[in-house]
Amino acid sequence: MPWLLRPCRFPKRRCIGGSLVLSSANAVGAMISIRKLCKAFSVTEGQIAALKSLDLDVAEGEFFVIVGASGSGKTTLLRCVAGLESPDSGEIRIAGRAVYSDNPPTWIAPQERNFGMVFQSYAVWPHLTVFENVALPLREGAQKIPRTEVSSRVREALRMVQLDEQKDRSATLLSGGQQQRVALARAIAVNPRVLLMDEPLSNLDARLREEVRGKIRDLAKQLGATVLYVTHDQIEAMAMADKIAIMSFGRLLQYGDPMELYRRPNCSEVADFFGSVNWLDGRLAGAKIVETKIGKLEVCLRGDLGGPEVLVGFRPECLQIVDGSNACRQNAFGAVLRSSTFLGDQFVYEAFVNDLLVTGKSRLIPVCEDRRLQLYVDPAEIMVFPHSESKDRILMGTASLKKGLE
Amino acid sequence: MEAVLRMPRQFAIRLRTSPLLLSLALAPMLVILVMVVALVWISFQTGVVGTPKATYTLKNYTDILGDPFVLKVVWNTLIFTLATTFTALALGLPIAWLTERTTLPGKGLVYTIMTLGLLIPGIYTAMGWTFIAHVRIGFLNRWLMDVFALEQGPINIATPVGMGLVQGLNLTALAFILTAQMFRAMNPSLEEAAKIHGMSFVGTVRRITLPLAFPAILAAMIYMLTIGLATFDVPAIIGLGNRIYMLSTYVYLKANPPDSGLPQHGVTAALGTVMILLALLLTWWYSQVLRQGHRYEVVTGKGYRPALLDLGRWSVLAWGLIALYFLATKLIPLLLIAYAAFTPYLAPPSWEMLGKLSLAGFYNLNWDLFWRGLYNTVLLVITVPLITLLLAFSISWLIVRSRSRMRYVLEFGAFLPHALPEVIMAIGALLLALFVLPKFIPLYGSVWLIAIVYVISRLAFATRALNSSLLQIHKELEEAAYTAGLSPVRTSWRILVPLLRPTLMSVWIWSAILVYRELTVAVFLISQESVTLPAVIWSYWFSGAINEAAAVTLLMTVVLTPLILVFWWFGRRQLMPES
Repeated sequence: MPWLLRPCRFPKRRCIGGSLVLSSANAVGAMISIRKLCKAFSVTEGQIAALKSLDLDVAEGEFFVIVGASGSGKTTLLRCVAGLESPDSGEIRIAGRAVYSDNPPTWIAPQERNFGMVFQSYAVWPHLTVFENVALPLREGAQKIPRTEVSSRVREALRMVQLDEQKDRSATLLSGGQQQRVALARAIAVNPRVLLMDEPLSNLDARLREEVRGKIRDLAKQLGATVLYVTHDQIEAMAMADKIAIMSFGRLLQYGDPMELYRRPNCSEVADFFGSVNWLDGRLAGAKIVETKIGKLEVCLRGDLGGPEVLVGFRPECLQIVDGSNACRQNAFGAVLRSSTFLGDQFVYEAFVNDLLVTGKSRLIPVCEDRRLQLYVDPAEIMVFPHSESKDRILMGTASLKKGLE
Repeated sequence: MEAVLRMPRQFAIRLRTSPLLLSLALAPMLVILVMVVALVWISFQTGVVGTPKATYTLKNYTDILGDPFVLKVVWNTLIFTLATTFTALALGLPIAWLTERTTLPGKGLVYTIMTLGLLIPGIYTAMGWTFIAHVRIGFLNRWLMDVFALEQGPINIATPVGMGLVQGLNLTALAFILTAQMFRAMNPSLEEAAKIHGMSFVGTVRRITLPLAFPAILAAMIYMLTIGLATFDVPAIIGLGNRIYMLSTYVYLKANPPDSGLPQHGVTAALGTVMILLALLLTWWYSQVLRQGHRYEVVTGKGYRPALLDLGRWSVLAWGLIALYFLATKLIPLLLIAYAAFTPYLAPPSWEMLGKLSLAGFYNLNWDLFWRGLYNTVLLVITVPLITLLLAFSISWLIVRSRSRMRYVLEFGAFLPHALPEVIMAIGALLLALFVLPKFIPLYGSVWLIAIVYVISRLAFATRALNSSLLQIHKELEEAAYTAGLSPVRTSWRILVPLLRPTLMSVWIWSAILVYRELTVAVFLISQESVTLPAVIWSYWFSGAINEAAAVTLLMTVVLTPLILVFWWFGRRQLMPES
């Protein structure tokens, strides 16, 4: 137990020598620090840039989730950090020490980086038992663990994932969830500086996934490990992350804490990724007023929009059904209900506002006389983006994001 | 030690496609290349070939093209090859169809018989059939002559057609395996669709089954042609003594002339070059047909079972055919060899002969030669499969796992030995050892020269088997080991080797068996010192000491049997579709 709860820093021996100076010179408290990282793959049709000059900092002890559609480069980024891919240029530092750099050329092989990694396929070695799977890295890995210590460390790691009773079973006889836990135990047993996880939950069924994601987060926090976690599932990201970075086509679109990304996305792509949005074309008509097809909306503007043409969006759950007496209120508009679906915890409904279809979510039953509704949006909930991101482009972007998800 | 590796960028990249691994993988390809270049180079020389004194000329080519005897040899080879292909397919295809698409009982036994067919050396069949149907000594001929009071035996095995028949019997197992795969992979719903739309059984076979099967059958045919073209052992065992020559045996004669004539290496090389061209052409055709065939491939689910034709009583007849094949190809030849090993002279089996059986044949053996042959053979059986596996593993890993552009080169290179028949590699190695290497490495007459050729000629198959197994091992299993701190060598040893063990074992034992029984390369490259067991048999046989040859063969079988049993144990799940 004590070895597991030790804060994950460099093993002691690493702190004597030149690297200590290096890390203090670079002291920003970042465990993982990535600068201008580029990576392209050559395919038969030419080159595909998977990472385009990417910068990222992950603080020590942080649970950092990278989300993005498939093809966005998130797995490539993770594999570059792990050392399973070699970047084309840029720099990756772990606790201030370069593991990859183009100048001066530096490369530390994956087996010398002292990471733990959980793979999408779990990569549980099928010819070994549960115990042996966890023990092999300790016995034959780069860290020279005393033989006498191996068995107690394996048992400790298995206990933490509640697999100590299964330790002598063959790994292939385990269920998906159990294999996933073996992979996790193997990753934490080496007492890694950084835990890397590549969509570890994507092969579990939905119910189990919800259960496990809480456990993984708890475990990581208990160990004080820095975690870099890749997923395409925005719910998973929001549920687990201290910080989320969203990637698209090899670039980082935005990073911050989950609420920030959900409520204050810096572009329509991010907004779309974290949930559905009703998008409208609009035109600035005053300091806080945008004219749209559904009427004049009061908004809270942040930053420069580059011109009067803007894109306005609000999430379905921000639509409030209000009674008709508030008809003259700002940001309220009449709508004609088209359809509504009962989902148990809420209704999802579609309504026409001046020929424009909007989607709303409500806990109230959206029924009324003549199918007429009065809807209201809080100005603080309305997102406004420059129109240079035209609706078409966003739709295309969304389509490709969504396509990637399927 | 705390060391951040600082090295030039290029080196850092190369490190990930390990130079050691790459050189291991490229070495055999380099040898092949040098061999082919040496062959072509010498084919344009006369005089003292392989030295600066040689004159460059086209004379070798005009000689062989203008020689009517060569034309006769080419004609023989053509007839032989066609007879081989026809026999192999005429037997193998129906047996494959019966096994895969009918209710034939005992299918496991058919596969057992066919695997045995692949494992038992072709020279056994050739020797056995000489005992059966040689025009003078053949027991069947003698019997027919007695019964019908004939002057001469009515059957002559020592003709291109006769030898083709024997080689065809040898290749039946291969034809079976190539076409059985095709019948198994064929999507039954295509045939069912025809049935539902009102087509009769015969109509379905004619309009659906056969056209679908055609590319695979054609591919199998071309494969047989390629093998037939360069077969050495059967024409050597049956034909050489009777002066019926094929291209392969003719080349052997030019390199090792009887009556102490001078070897004509220029002509040998020219013939070899022509054979390379023919082989490459056939291989190219083969790959084209295969590519064509893939168009018809219909993705099939796991759980389907093709509709089986109910054979009913016909299954007795079907088993009759299979039993006949087994008797004619394996059992009777083997029994006759055993019989010949114990007889003082060659005569048809009779009560009288049974009384004369003795161990005399064994006493007369040159035991010194036998032990030397056994020693060399054992040496080869131990080293060649191991080196083959090491090289094949390196090549496979690079082809399957690395993203290096070298992998295309490697893929082609690993395929090359498949395209070059063993006869050609034997000639190439011979010329290389005689004229190119002596200054650097004196390999001529050494058993290691034979070992090199064996390794190279087994490489294509070993690489292909490992490729498909390695593809099935998820890349992340390896990566998990790297990130967990295991070095690449340890990862290979602790993760890949255990996971690949079934394939490694069956490739190992398969190569061992093929090395153990190999005759062609050995005959071209042996010396007094480097003689192998099959070459001992060959030299007894060629010098007319047939009983001694049979005795050595029998001794060899005693060693072969446990090897085959080991193969059975480890490798029967994966049938080896290559002879």
